[in-house]
Amino acid sequence: MLTQLKENIVYPEPKKQNIIIEVNELNVYYKNNHAVKNVSLPIRERSITALIGPSGCGKSTFLRTINRMNDLIPGAKCQGEIMYDGINLLDKKIDVVALRKEIGMVFQKPNPFPKSIYENIAMPLKFAGIRGKKRLNDIVEESLYQAALLDEVKDRLSQSALSLSGGQQQRLCIARALALKPKVLLLDEPTSALDPVSSAKIEDLLLSLKKQVSLAVVTHNMQQAARIADQTAFFYEGEVVEYNDTSIMFTKPVYKKTEDYINGRFG
Amino acid sequence: MIVKNGESSLDHKTVNRRLIKENVSYRTFLSRNSENRGKILIFICASLIMAATMSITLFLTLQGIRSFTVDGLNPIKFLTGIHWNPESHQHASYGALPFIFGSFTVTILAALIAAPIGIGSALFMTEIAKTWGQKMLQPVIEILVGIPSVVYGLIGLSVIVPFIRSQFGGLGFGMLAAAIVVGIMILPTVASLAADAIKSVPDEWRQASYALGATKWQTIYKVVIPAALPSLLTAVVLGMARAFGEALAVQMVIGNAKVLPHSLIEPAATLTTMITLSMGHTTDGSVLNDALWSLGLILLIMTYIFIILIRFLSKRGRLS
Amino acid sequence: MNSNKANRMSIFLITCCAVLMAGILLGLVGYILYQGFSHISLRFLTSDASAFLAGGGIKNQLWNSFYILFITMLFTVPLGIAGGIYMAEYAKPNKLTGFMRSCLEVLSSLPSIIVGMFGMLVFVNFFHWEYSILSGALALTVFNLPVIVRVCEDALRSVPQDQRLSGLALGLTKWHTIKKVLLPAAFPGILTGLILSAGRVFGESAALLFTAGLSTPNLDFTNWNPLAPNSPLNVFRSAETLSVHIWAVNADSIIPDAKQVAYGAAAVLVLCILLFNVSARCLGRLVERKMTGK
Repeated sequence: MLTQLKENIVYPEPKKQNIIIEVNELNVYYKNNHAVKNVSLPIRERSITALIGPSGCGKSTFLRTINRMNDLIPGAKCQGEIMYDGINLLDKKIDVVALRKEIGMVFQKPNPFPKSIYENIAMPLKFAGIRGKKRLNDIVEESLYQAALLDEVKDRLSQSALSLSGGQQQRLCIARALALKPKVLLLDEPTSALDPVSSAKIEDLLLSLKKQVSLAVVTHNMQQAARIADQTAFFYEGEVVEYNDTSIMFTKPVYKKTEDYINGRFG
Repeated sequence: MIVKNGESSLDHKTVNRRLIKENVSYRTFLSRNSENRGKILIFICASLIMAATMSITLFLTLQGIRSFTVDGLNPIKFLTGIHWNPESHQHASYGALPFIFGSFTVTILAALIAAPIGIGSALFMTEIAKTWGQKMLQPVIEILVGIPSVVYGLIGLSVIVPFIRSQFGGLGFGMLAAAIVVGIMILPTVASLAADAIKSVPDEWRQASYALGATKWQTIYKVVIPAALPSLLTAVVLGMARAFGEALAVQMVIGNAKVLPHSLIEPAATLTTMITLSMGHTTDGSVLNDALWSLGLILLIMTYIFIILIRFLSKRGRLS
Repeated sequence: MNSNKANRMSIFLITCCAVLMAGILLGLVGYILYQGFSHISLRFLTSDASAFLAGGGIKNQLWNSFYILFITMLFTVPLGIAGGIYMAEYAKPNKLTGFMRSCLEVLSSLPSIIVGMFGMLVFVNFFHWEYSILSGALALTVFNLPVIVRVCEDALRSVPQDQRLSGLALGLTKWHTIKKVLLPAAFPGILTGLILSAGRVFGESAALLFTAGLSTPNLDFTNWNPLAPNSPLNVFRSAETLSVHIWAVNADSIIPDAKQVAYGAAAVLVLCILLFNVSARCLGRLVERKMTGK
């Protein structure tokens, strides 16, 4: 597999974690727009992969392709290979509904349903076939605990989720995704709509979640990538310019463009 | 192993099947909450709506042309004849021109009443008193839209008809009374659509005009109205479509004389009032009954013409 | 100076238009209520209409109006919501969708008397349901359907896109997302639209003339067996509604107090419709507030 990857990707040595999702030569088109160009990238197990780059560089599109959210956009076309658990996720026989339960997603803007806090987490569980009040309660509580939200909301689970603050709403969205016990969690700029204090809480949360799930985070914020990510990929105009261990990437970037971006010279 | 969209290279025997779609079977339809069941229900309902529309058009057309195909009435004579005399045994004549004329006159007069007042109110809401004008007139429009047409007819009968009688003499019943009643009836429709049209004119254009030293009226007259003109016309045409099809309110005040009137304050009739009055008293399959269905067909055709006109206007509105 | 004068003049005229419209509403509602109020009494609301004597009531008409409204909503709500879901969520931009949109446009611009004639042709004559509540309700369904479809489509479209995405990203199927996420989120809008359209149905008359008829059999309000011919619940009996009654007493009735009965009935009708209007707004806002927890 390694030979297929583009040569400008320098592999961190030694590899600490196994690869859980391996993307090979992925191309995504929106009608006339070639949004993702020949991207090959691994996502490692139990670690955080940050995707950075200027806006419109294809990193969000790339993220949405992994759990097939791009299917919803008319005119979107994907080519290539996203290997996960021995199968190509772009195959048409893939059950996208089952796939999205295993590879969860959290969006830029917190988007809880206009229902109670409890229902926000319990409803997807019910549709996933989990029955029994006791079991549901346990999972809701556990995922709220994992999302570091339990203490703040345990007395008002029946209140509307929209009464929570923005940061709490985002943690609820993460809890909601965690309740389905995903293997991978994709986060699309999860803190960009939040204030610094709430952002810091989400960052802590992501670091603690690393023990159970693999995370891929799109972020605009370079410091955030440096703080939380194990590996970082730099996207530019639909291509991956550089992929490396975060520590190496932010101290000794191989490419000039990466260095310029990290130092804030453009983007 | 590069896979394009829409192809599959998966072999069911070898790879894990957790994420592979099952074959669609009848079970997925029977199970509660099934994706397919919901989808099928939705599509059935949608096709029912389409079937209803098609069958209305089809049935009314078939029934409407019976008077020409079965009873042998001459379509040209039907449309241009001015005598409607179905009772006469020897010289029964079916000339629908008085009713067609009545419908068109009432509709146009109603539009002449409703358009200026409606557009004026819309301008008041959007240009003159943006905040409180909107707050005051929006509920007024909504309530007026909701008032049933028979109530308008009743008011016409007890206020407008006596008023015309005292001012112009005669009975008071006639196309003028009908036009006033229908004009008031379509006023809220015209006003609210016109307000929407004016609101969609970009604010930058107004500011550009003010910056050039134009007064409010000059801005409205030279910038806002020309920019919104196609949509304003759409609003008026929609109101006219409603006026053309109104039956009971018109019937109550028009006087119901089956002749071409000589003035606006003489009793007259329209297509809808003729249908309203006579349909219940005719027997199925009689020539008169079929002739009434033909009047209905004219109404239906006019509805389609109004729709085409509105489509044409709204296309123009988008281009400009 | 001249342009200033024209400016002031035109603003004055525009203001006059607005005042005129507000005046029309006040005059209209005020006149009807003023004329009708003196005639509304418990006896008027609870006694039978009279064929030729003075002092008839509107009990049966009032009941018929609400009953036909109920039956109509029974047909329209599921059909209309399904149509709205189709237009907002399933319709792809193709010929079929364009055709569906044209159909809705035609349905919504058909004059109600045409709808009544269609109802007479199909329900009354072809299916032999005669002048009946069922025929009337089905005609009103045709009349009301495009409104509900539109209301539901608009309400669904105004649900933010990220609600759709979050449902799907959690592994819900499209149908589940619609049923459990989008419809509840659109509920306040749909509810408001439904009640407003109910007001429209309640006041409709022309479509009922040839479908529900101009008469009501002697109703026995103690007989609730829906199959009995004199039961208020029977859907196969003819039924004159309140608004048809207003028209009928003016058009061809010989009762001496026709004017008073018409005013009284019109006042009741207008009050009901104002009630629909107010409750639509209040209920919509209440539900919305409850949902957002604010």
